[in-house]
Amino acid sequence: MTTNALSFEPVRVEREVETISRPSLSYWQDAWLRLKANTRAIVSLYLVIGLLLFTVFGPWLWQVDSSAQDLDQISAPPGAERAVTVVDEYRPWQGATATPVAGAGGELQAPASLSVAGDATTRAVRLQWSAAPDAGGYRIYRSIFDTAPDGALGLPLGDVLDPTTVSFEDRLDLQPLTYHYSVVTLDDRGREATGYTSVPVEVTRVITAAQAHAKGLIDSADVVRPGDVLKLQMHPLGTDYLGRDMLARLMHGARVSLFIGIVAPFAFVLVGIFYGSVAGFMGGRVDQLLMRFADFVVALPFLLFMILFRILFNVQPGDNSILPMMVAMVVLSWPAVARLVRGQILQIREEGYIGASRLLGAKTNYLVLRHMIPNTMGVILVTLTFAVPSAIFTEAFLSFIGMGVAPPTPSWGSMCNEGLKTMLTTPHELIFPAAFISITVLAFNLLGDGLRDALDARMRATE
Amino acid sequence: MSEAAAENLGQGTTWNASALLQLLYLGGFGVLGLGFILWALAQWNEGGAGDAADYATGTVTLAMSQEPPQLDSTRSTDQVSIAVLGHVMEGLLRYDQDDQLVGGVAERWEIGETSATFWLRSDARWSNGDPVTAHDFVFAWRKALEPANVSEYAFILYGIRNAEAVNRGEQPLEALGARAVGDRQLEVEFARPLPYFDKLTAFCTFNPVHEAFYESTAGAYGADADKLLYNGPFVIDQWIHGASLRLKKNPNYWDADRIRLNVIDYAYITSDPLATINLFKDGKVALTSLNAENLTDAMQQRWKIHRFADGSVFYLGLNHRPGRPTSNYHLRKALQAVHDPGELVYKVLKLPGNVPTNSLFPVWLKGVRGSFRQEYPAPKHHPDDARGRELLARALAELGLAELPPLVMLIGDTPTSKKQAEYYQNLFKRKLGIDIKIDAQIFKQRLAKMTSGDYDIVAAGWGPDYDDAMTFADLFTSWNENNRGRYANPVLDAAVDVARSSNDPQTRMDAIAKVQKIIYEDVVVLTQFERGSVYVAHPRLRGVVRRSVGTDPDYTNAWIAPVGG
Repeated sequence: MTTNALSFEPVRVEREVETISRPSLSYWQDAWLRLKANTRAIVSLYLVIGLLLFTVFGPWLWQVDSSAQDLDQISAPPGAERAVTVVDEYRPWQGATATPVAGAGGELQAPASLSVAGDATTRAVRLQWSAAPDAGGYRIYRSIFDTAPDGALGLPLGDVLDPTTVSFEDRLDLQPLTYHYSVVTLDDRGREATGYTSVPVEVTRVITAAQAHAKGLIDSADVVRPGDVLKLQMHPLGTDYLGRDMLARLMHGARVSLFIGIVAPFAFVLVGIFYGSVAGFMGGRVDQLLMRFADFVVALPFLLFMILFRILFNVQPGDNSILPMMVAMVVLSWPAVARLVRGQILQIREEGYIGASRLLGAKTNYLVLRHMIPNTMGVILVTLTFAVPSAIFTEAFLSFIGMGVAPPTPSWGSMCNEGLKTMLTTPHELIFPAAFISITVLAFNLLGDGLRDALDARMRATE
Repeated sequence: MSEAAAENLGQGTTWNASALLQLLYLGGFGVLGLGFILWALAQWNEGGAGDAADYATGTVTLAMSQEPPQLDSTRSTDQVSIAVLGHVMEGLLRYDQDDQLVGGVAERWEIGETSATFWLRSDARWSNGDPVTAHDFVFAWRKALEPANVSEYAFILYGIRNAEAVNRGEQPLEALGARAVGDRQLEVEFARPLPYFDKLTAFCTFNPVHEAFYESTAGAYGADADKLLYNGPFVIDQWIHGASLRLKKNPNYWDADRIRLNVIDYAYITSDPLATINLFKDGKVALTSLNAENLTDAMQQRWKIHRFADGSVFYLGLNHRPGRPTSNYHLRKALQAVHDPGELVYKVLKLPGNVPTNSLFPVWLKGVRGSFRQEYPAPKHHPDDARGRELLARALAELGLAELPPLVMLIGDTPTSKKQAEYYQNLFKRKLGIDIKIDAQIFKQRLAKMTSGDYDIVAAGWGPDYDDAMTFADLFTSWNENNRGRYANPVLDAAVDVARSSNDPQTRMDAIAKVQKIIYEDVVVLTQFERGSVYVAHPRLRGVVRRSVGTDPDYTNAWIAPVGG
């Protein structure tokens, strides 16, 4: 058997051992995959996106003026009854008079009867009563609770210091509720007798046709007659202490809160990255100098600078101080980021691949931009997401103490401040802005948490 | 790798177990320690406080809104100082529990056409035992008028002969028409008829000052508890600046038997009305005002709620200085046309007791025979938006502007004034398209800005100093320092001149009615409401007098009923 060249065949090299079974993933793709696996972080991400949509597109969808005051629905909770009856124009009431009755002496008696004249409406409740013997005057009380068990009569509405007048018109903050009115007789020196006469009064909410037109409840072409029932404007989240729509205010407030919460951290993180990478990369004396200056900035008090910037920016009373607030935040908050970035850069500078890259002739710019900053990205992103809630809190705090936005501009912080005063009677004025701050801060924190886990290169290695 | 990890884990758990135990120990001690500190603090805080109105010791505990800024009676201007002075000092006359004028240091008095005479009681004493003499009054009044003393209330003495000239430094102090005839007789000559001089003497600027003591304090008179000499029912026993102020019954007071409280303890100084209400709820203070937000709560607590008109009138002051937009008559008229005091009071402020008004003169003022406002009704006012816009167009044409620059509204820093300002901001924007910038300032700063004219509109109020319509009527005269908007109108000045120089009630009231009309027609200010106040008191604290003119609240006649009494 002869062998020649044809007897030979080239060996087929099977290179399949080297094949990558799964598609290769970039750093970001991998991070995204791991972020997706983290339910908390994903929910937070959707929340953050939702909040941004709420802020940017909300006011287009819900076109209610955030400073319009609906004085018929002050501090109305969400879902409050909105039915209102049309009535005629208001006409002044002459009241009722009676001849004073001389008594047989002895103790002063409360009026024998107390009744409502005409309809009891949110516009006015007109009371009249029978003259009490020897009365020097009368005092009228109103309560939203029953007076019966212990004679707690509630609010003193007014005094009638003329015994011939036996009527009183109440126009004070009438709501469609049942009120308990009481009348107490006064002696001629204005002291109260012990007894009282009480009557429960159910008040209906009313509006005149002219007011309904002015408020846009009906078209000008519509004809309404007294007795017709209309609906007042809808306020899905209720109204505040001046009848302003809470939903519209929350949306406009979010613009301020999120604007500061996102723009300020971005700005100071950028400053911090630049400053920190310069210090870290240069090292030595420059690093010492730069970082000592950073230490100095850390020691500066924020509130004092906030006030100084207000003066510097010539913020007139009644102007918003959003710009000085942002400048103060940027000027004073960057050192934390700078320190973090510097630490990272110092560490990365000594890594082997940096040395290799340098040997291959990489320039400083390339080293910093291609190797160092991307490797600190994880830390930076996390800092950023944690800086957002703290900036929102700072804005809320400054608006809370009255150094932030000026009325009528709302912000979540100033809304909390206003809602706090009526926390016990109308809690929705505090709960909604407080909930929005809490949810936003929580969402950013959880997202930051998730990002830290997803972007950590060392965790990638252990999987 | 996995082994190493397991090992680490193992080490971790053992470390954790011992650390947990240690942590538990430390945490336990920590919690115990903290608990003890809290407990000790609570004990210390409650130390001997007892009830806010304590029958056994005759002590009533209260809160005040700020510590008295000026207890030198010749220079006091604010309500807190005047209220404290009302308890520790006594003038020639005072108001009793029925608001009647009765003798204080003066035993009897005569008010004539051109002069008045006061005879002082022999048993009136200072807290150091010295008798209160007519010289003390003459000294105090001269001091109040002394140009170097810069008393803001000097003008209240101007009814006395030569007082104005003395205050301007044109005449020596000795020229003042007040003279001591011996120790116990005081002669006063008037610059013009002064039928209400007796009412004036109850005001704190007329209080006596002990000359020798005043000089011994070397300029610090009234700055501390021992820098004051007292002649009233109480003395300041202890004054911890910024924290508390305690008044004690004055044994040297001539009418000490009348005083039934032993101690008035202003244990809390807080400007937060909510804090005071909470203190009342906890039984720490015996009296507190309520605000609109707390009324429902107060009804629910079934407290006995009281109401009283404090006598003051609130208004939006306008800046009449030339160059200010508000100096334009038609602009002021436009603001007035859309202004609705009823809406503000009934829907925004929501506090019973506030009464909407179109007049600068409150309803309680006396007229010729009966009530001034019944004899001379307030101007009728109907808000009319269309007319407001018309007037604004005329104003803009006169000012030569296409659009009005934002107007600055100067307000106080209380929650209520902010709420009110936001209401006006929206009202003027919606109805007239005028932008309002809100400038919230603390009281002192607001006053400084009012004086320098650094505003367009200011939320202000005026409380009466004495029980006569003149206390309101001369407010906007060209010579009054309190006319902060610098309104100047010869017709108004002339009317006030007539009212203050006449002795005939009819002539005086006719002239004051003219002032009432000018203030509305020329829109000197936009009147809002007569302020009422709503308060709750400890059920066993009796005899507290609330009044519109004079010391308020007045505890000098108060007493504490025993439990069950």
